[in-house]
Amino acid sequence: MPKKGAQPLQGEVLQGTLDLLILQTLLLGPAHGHTIAYAIERRSDDVLQVEHGSLYPALHRLEDRGWIASFWGTSDNNRKARYYRLTPKGRKQLAEQTSRWEQLVNAVNRVLRPASE
Amino acid sequence: MSWKRFFLRNHWDNERKQELEQHLQLEIDENLARGMSLNEAESAAHRKLGNSTQIREEVYRFNSLQFLETIWQDLKIGARMLRKSPTFTVVAVLTLGIGIGANAAMFSIADWLLFQQLPVRDPKSLVYLGFAQGPNQRDPNFSYPEFQELKRQSGELFSETSAMAFGGVGDQSGPDGLTFNGKTERAQTIFVTGNFFSMLGLQPYMGRLFSPLEGTAPMADPVVVVSYEYWQSRFYGDTTIIGKPAAINGHPVTIVGVAPKGFVGVTPALHMQVFLPLGMLPVEPGIQRDFMNAFERRAIIIVARAGTAMHGRQSHPLLTMIGQNVLQQHPRPDEKIIELRAIPLRPPGLVSGQGVNPLPLFAGLVLGLGILVLLLACLNVSNLLLVRSTARAGEMAMRSALGAPSRRLVRQMLTESLLLAALGCAAGIALGLVATRVLAGINAPTELAIRFDLAFDWRVYVYLFAAATLTGIIVGIVPALRLRRANLAALLHDTSRGATGSRQRLRNSLVVIQVAGSLALLIVAGLFVRSLQKVRNVDLGFEPRNVLNITLDPNQIGMSKTDGERFYTQLLQRVRALPGIHSASLAVMVPMGDTEFGGRIDVPGFAIPKGQPRPSANYNAVSADYFGTIGMHILNGRDITESDSATSDRVAVINQAMAHKYWPASDPIGHEFSVAEDTKHPIRIIGVVRNSHMIDAYSPIEPMYFVPLTQRYMPTLTLQVKTPRPPAEVAKQIETLVEELAPTMPVYGVRTMSEALDSLNGLFMFRVGAALTGALGSLGLVLAIIGVYGVMSYSVSQRTSEIGVRIALGAQKCQILALLSRQGVLVIGSGLLVGILITLAASKVLQEFLIDVSPTDALTYIGLSAILGLAAFVAMYLPASRAARIDPVVALRRE
Repeated sequence: MPKKGAQPLQGEVLQGTLDLLILQTLLLGPAHGHTIAYAIERRSDDVLQVEHGSLYPALHRLEDRGWIASFWGTSDNNRKARYYRLTPKGRKQLAEQTSRWEQLVNAVNRVLRPASE
Repeated sequence: MSWKRFFLRNHWDNERKQELEQHLQLEIDENLARGMSLNEAESAAHRKLGNSTQIREEVYRFNSLQFLETIWQDLKIGARMLRKSPTFTVVAVLTLGIGIGANAAMFSIADWLLFQQLPVRDPKSLVYLGFAQGPNQRDPNFSYPEFQELKRQSGELFSETSAMAFGGVGDQSGPDGLTFNGKTERAQTIFVTGNFFSMLGLQPYMGRLFSPLEGTAPMADPVVVVSYEYWQSRFYGDTTIIGKPAAINGHPVTIVGVAPKGFVGVTPALHMQVFLPLGMLPVEPGIQRDFMNAFERRAIIIVARAGTAMHGRQSHPLLTMIGQNVLQQHPRPDEKIIELRAIPLRPPGLVSGQGVNPLPLFAGLVLGLGILVLLLACLNVSNLLLVRSTARAGEMAMRSALGAPSRRLVRQMLTESLLLAALGCAAGIALGLVATRVLAGINAPTELAIRFDLAFDWRVYVYLFAAATLTGIIVGIVPALRLRRANLAALLHDTSRGATGSRQRLRNSLVVIQVAGSLALLIVAGLFVRSLQKVRNVDLGFEPRNVLNITLDPNQIGMSKTDGERFYTQLLQRVRALPGIHSASLAVMVPMGDTEFGGRIDVPGFAIPKGQPRPSANYNAVSADYFGTIGMHILNGRDITESDSATSDRVAVINQAMAHKYWPASDPIGHEFSVAEDTKHPIRIIGVVRNSHMIDAYSPIEPMYFVPLTQRYMPTLTLQVKTPRPPAEVAKQIETLVEELAPTMPVYGVRTMSEALDSLNGLFMFRVGAALTGALGSLGLVLAIIGVYGVMSYSVSQRTSEIGVRIALGAQKCQILALLSRQGVLVIGSGLLVGILITLAASKVLQEFLIDVSPTDALTYIGLSAILGLAAFVAMYLPASRAARIDPVVALRRE
């Protein structure tokens, strides 16, 4: 349901980017899968559509690596939900990955901009 | 990490399932809030999430180890296949079980002989010293002064040095007696320096062990430590014996401690029961109180702990120098000595005081035979699997068509064969345990405390594991690799058509190897059996029938020489008075007994040939009537009689070998010789007796002389009685007589002469060897028959249609038989030929173990080849004759 002119980038999110987005989202505080998915969509102005199907395997992978931890909690509307929070290890990873992402973006931008500039 | 994941994957799957459900619920809640109907809300939520099962599968796959997953699958399929053909499985598992079990039993023997370490601190650094005399030959015996000299000079090489001396073994006495509560029983003693136990790092099980100061002065420390096992068997684990008095050979001692459990001395087979300080050595008859100064008394074995300088080496320039120093001070003119060496104590270990240890070679032979049996079993099963792989070609082609890579199919085959091997290993362990129980139960017929310590320790299990794995691979590799190479499409077509040429050739060559191996095994077994026969039928030179032996030892209760002589004289008189006694006499040495007596002699007028050692001879001290009792004919001269007394002229009867060696030209009667240490008392020869086997049943007969007991008293004597009456009854009467004369006198070795001949030096080893190899040989025979039968019946079944066509076209039964037999005979014949060649190649090793039988004995070779050939022919003929009776209609319809 894109509201603005930009086309949603469905299923085109770069490999590994989803991890970064999840970590960044959790920086704000613990959240469950559903919230994470919507938070990413909202913060990207709905450009990034998180495919819910790939969200959970990604969460599992991150937890396995010890970057996030999970616990069962209760959601706002009083439902049981599995919450995720950032671990110190995950926080470090986030910093690292963010800088790498920025490098990547800069590099790609440099290539895309015409040399004349 | 991934392992944790792997084991928790079901837990995680469950978590994710719940989480996804919750996610759906949240989404549905939101959709409802947006105003959708419940139906719409649900389907929208599902649409958005996608296939939740797929998500779960993705997580599950992430959590699993692909490799393990498929192995488990292979195993399940393999197990199903084995269950589907129970006959094949049972035959294969039993065959492998026999192979692996035989191997386990053989390996446990080798393990015991070669690898088992002593239960002491850092056993690997323990050595004993010996003057090397040649490859694998050494003299480990030293005198006490030599020991002290060596110890003083070699401090740099050894961190600790101790000495020990065996009691009763090979010395001029029988075993020692331990008297406790008025009852005397023999015990294997060992005399050790005070630092012996501390050097080995041993702690007492109870009481105390020796302190370093004990045993340094003659007869100063009358204390004993008993082994845990002896404490159990003799004292039934009585904890109050510590501090109690006992006596060794009549010398009072105090029991001060019990050695730790499992420690029975440092020799592999001889079990040490009683430990005494070295200074107590004079309790041994014949050892003087001044033995610590006697250079010539070489009864001490030096055990030391190698320091870093000696680490991992037997010889060292400094040690060689020390050896030369000692030799200069105390020369050994009769020995050809290379240098002084430090030999690892175990493995393989020191066998009493003897220089050469035959155990490694024996262990190697036994292990080699075991491996041969396993190899044959492998061939057999490999053959069966090959047959099956053809039958399963269809299945394999199907799996391949469904997308299984050939790597996967090969792995499937190997998994199955490994599964078979694992089952075979389980069966083998069971069989092996039974076999070792039987082997360990063999009671060595000796008065020495020998023990077969055969247990399945970790080494045996490691070996078994390796053997089983290897077996699985060997067995499965050939059929598996064929799959890989095979064009599966062709295989699929091939199934109904029968064996291709190369496959048949491969199977044939497997049968050739099998027949060859079985024949080799059979021939080795046959040679052993022939040895046993030869030894059994050897003319001993005396008449063992109807002779009863009873050994007595007044020394063990501390009887003096005079009392002992009086006791024996009275006993002999009373025994001779019993009814039905033809004759009775006494002798120091029993034929094929544990002890032999001998020494250098001085023969006046005998020129020692160049390079030959000085004259020596074995001897036996006997009473009157000895030759009559034992049935040894006097060829010339006179018998020893009652008139040969302590005060009369010294006389001896010699055997033919001695007469021939030292008086080759003349009649020895009337000539004189003397014991080398006592040339002042010449011994006059009064008679010559027939050669007889006294030491063992197979060695060439050595010079030997017999002297009257009255002129050379020894306490440990064997009463020999010739009587046609039942031995048990006579023995009972004699024991009563002994008890009347000397109530505490220990009586042992009550055996008929025929029983006595079945001793370690006599027939026993041959019997065990023949039984062991005979059993392995029979296994080989059975395996060969199964192998030939299996392959032939398979090959016949593959050719059914061909045979059907031939019969339909008018071939006669005998023609069909001839056709099939030709191939079988060729295969069996080549197998026999190869087997004979293998055995001939190994005949050099076999020579070491055979007596009076050439390792290329034609009779054995031909006879066993014929037996195996015949058995194999029958195994081949049965399926062939069945094929010849095929109804052509049935055979053709199968096509």
